[in-house]
Amino acid sequence: MTRYLLHRLPSALLVLFGASVLIFLLLRLVPGDPATILAGNDATPQTIEVIRHQLGLDRAVPVQYLHWLGDVLTLDLGRSYIIGGEITDLVGRGLTNTLVLTVTALLLAVLVSLVVSVASVLWPSRWLDTVVAAANTIAVALPTFVVGPLLVLVFAIAIPVLPAGGVPPDGFIARPDIAVQYLLLPAICLALPVSAALTRFLTEALRTELAKQYVLTARSLGIGYREIVTRGALRNALPTMLTVLGIQTGQLLGGAVLVEAAFVWPGIGQLIEQGISRRDYPLVQVLLLLSVAVFVVIQLITDVAHAWLDPRIRIGGRS
Amino acid sequence: MNSTSSGFGRRNFLRTSGIAAAAIFGGAALAACTSAVSEQKAGGDDATPVRGGTLKVGIREDLVPANLLTNTAATPIVIGLVYESLIRYPNDTLDPKPLLAKSWQLAADGRSLSLDLRDDVKFHSGRPFTAKDVEFSLRTYADAKWSAQLRSSAAAVTGFDIVSPTRIVLRLAHPLSNIYDLLDTVPILDSETADKLGTGDTYIGTGPFKYVQRVPNSQLIFEKNPDYWIPERPYLDRVEVSIIPDPNALLNALKSGQIAAARELSYRDAENLGKSGGYTVHDLEGAELQAYVGVNVTEPALADVRVRQAIAYSLDRERIINEVFRGAGYPLNVPWPKNSPAFDESRNTKYSRDLPKAKQLLDQSARPPKLPLTFAPGYGEVAQIVQANLADVGIEVELDPVDAATFVKQLTGQQFRGLWVTDHSWAQFVPSTLTVSAYPFNARRNASRYDSPAYTAAADTAWQLAQGTGPEAVRAYQAVTDQLLEGLFLIEIGVRFQQYSTVNKVHGFAWTKRREPVLTDTFLS
Repeated sequence: MTRYLLHRLPSALLVLFGASVLIFLLLRLVPGDPATILAGNDATPQTIEVIRHQLGLDRAVPVQYLHWLGDVLTLDLGRSYIIGGEITDLVGRGLTNTLVLTVTALLLAVLVSLVVSVASVLWPSRWLDTVVAAANTIAVALPTFVVGPLLVLVFAIAIPVLPAGGVPPDGFIARPDIAVQYLLLPAICLALPVSAALTRFLTEALRTELAKQYVLTARSLGIGYREIVTRGALRNALPTMLTVLGIQTGQLLGGAVLVEAAFVWPGIGQLIEQGISRRDYPLVQVLLLLSVAVFVVIQLITDVAHAWLDPRIRIGGRS
Repeated sequence: MNSTSSGFGRRNFLRTSGIAAAAIFGGAALAACTSAVSEQKAGGDDATPVRGGTLKVGIREDLVPANLLTNTAATPIVIGLVYESLIRYPNDTLDPKPLLAKSWQLAADGRSLSLDLRDDVKFHSGRPFTAKDVEFSLRTYADAKWSAQLRSSAAAVTGFDIVSPTRIVLRLAHPLSNIYDLLDTVPILDSETADKLGTGDTYIGTGPFKYVQRVPNSQLIFEKNPDYWIPERPYLDRVEVSIIPDPNALLNALKSGQIAAARELSYRDAENLGKSGGYTVHDLEGAELQAYVGVNVTEPALADVRVRQAIAYSLDRERIINEVFRGAGYPLNVPWPKNSPAFDESRNTKYSRDLPKAKQLLDQSARPPKLPLTFAPGYGEVAQIVQANLADVGIEVELDPVDAATFVKQLTGQQFRGLWVTDHSWAQFVPSTLTVSAYPFNARRNASRYDSPAYTAAADTAWQLAQGTGPEAVRAYQAVTDQLLEGLFLIEIGVRFQQYSTVNKVHGFAWTKRREPVLTDTFLS
């Protein structure tokens, strides 16, 4: 496994380096810069120049890039130009919020898909298939920017039992009962399309497994159907689900931007939106690089898990 | 398959799944010891009717610490709650009233102003407020790095004679008709913590509320200043400001009781809330913003003033005010609100909508090619109506939406390729402030690239008067108005009021001419 991991690492690092160059250059191609934002509408060109100098934006772009890269490699992320505060704190706070939300949504999605898929193959019936298919279709078809406001309208305004948005005022640990209430609506909103996709793939993968010869052999040996499903077919179907889960996790993070906006959840998505719209270069650079890193790591984890579950991939990686 | 004999049959499975689902989705909410919704409302509903309680406010834009002195985004909240100025204008007049200065005396030649200060004021750090703080604050305000709007007026204060801790004489480079605007605007800053202003680490003022904490992109927290110099004030114990950028989420937060006051809901949402009962919509009168169409006069198609006049005659200002701002404002031809000493009704109707006249002017000039009309988010509807209005007289306009950062860059860089729409402020103060402080009106360098010695002279004359009001000042302002109406590098649409929507339990909500909330007398019933 270690050799397989080492084999995959150089390409991951190359992707990160390429991304850092692209991010840095692309941001500078966008019209508008932090100096004009900081100077405001009524600034003179002299004021803008003073601010640009203070921020180091009057230096050559390659010099700015190398300076930034050096800072990132030494984990000195500096201060945000516009939002204010240490970037480490901003990213740490935003990342915590986003991770709590996405992990909760992911757990919900995995739990729901496992339960529904296993139920669908254990007790096949037309009505269950119809209900699951209809629920999946609605969950995939309705975008989060529709589901979010609908959930808020129903559960925060019409029947005010849950908060309309925001994060728990005392944090996630101090009052778990309160934290769960703040988490429920955004997590459900975020989990719905993912759980639908996972359910569809897992159900199909289970059905494919159950049609294979080893299942027939197992049944002829008298092994219970439930045991065949849960210990045999499910284990064999999981690699397929893991691949889908990796892709869906990426989509989950993308979807988090919209869910965070609808539920006033101050996560990474909100931070990126604020940073880009205000041209907060150092903050956006770190956030975008982090986003790429997350995708690379998720891909790596997915591949490693895949290799762990399927020895053929491990062997291929070694050769 | 025999599911029933396994001990894990369909019924058991469904039952177990149902229980699990209930536990996950509903149980947490229903069985929790405390309701998060009740906690959110507790700050207001459980508050003592007059004294105490927490006011929860929602706003759409976060603080930009480096912009503390620019009156943008969330800075009016911080300035309004934490800081105080030397004098304060009532919202409907330009007659200055005492605040940190008890009294003042302007010299007959208008070149010096002596101020007597209160002796019972302390900063939140406990340090007494003195004349040195006045000098420090005015000097800081004049520093270019802060990009403060009244910087040129602050820079005209060239001498500070500190007579005693409670008496200071300001020496002026020339008579300054807007000196009281400056004194109303400049927050009195604490010199000991001034280096932390730009980083947002701390804010120390003399105001009714102390700054407690900021969570960037999320929240600002203030609490009552127990040593405030006005006895028994403020009523509130705490103010919590949430940053809610999405207008729908802001509306939902207000409707669900998560906040009790919201700044800048969409005009339509505010209108509906006002009609629904239970809410009050405050138009911030006296703190007007004014929508306008800007013109780059160096573009060949727009260099002929007759084309600009045709544009001015074609605008349907009433429609914009009624449809876009839902009546929260009124149409104008001049850049001054109705309570300004510069406002003159006859001048204000000079370019009332007159399509035949517009067409006639266009017939006399070279018909312009398709013109770009640039606008930032929030001004799309205005731009569309302007586009339709101009189409009525045969001027074709191409809409050019850009994001806020690009818009500011083009505005300050004089980069607009044709027309643009946005709004300006500062016209509600002494009129000369507009022409020396608001960049679009700046006589020496403006976004329109308009250069006119006559306009510059009129603006300078009005600025260098000793008195900002009175007959001589009014004559000077009317000369400025005539120059603006003749040059037409900015074509006014009208006043729009920024709005706060509050639940009815919020009482005594007030604001300054710069849209800063004043919560000294605010309480929750």
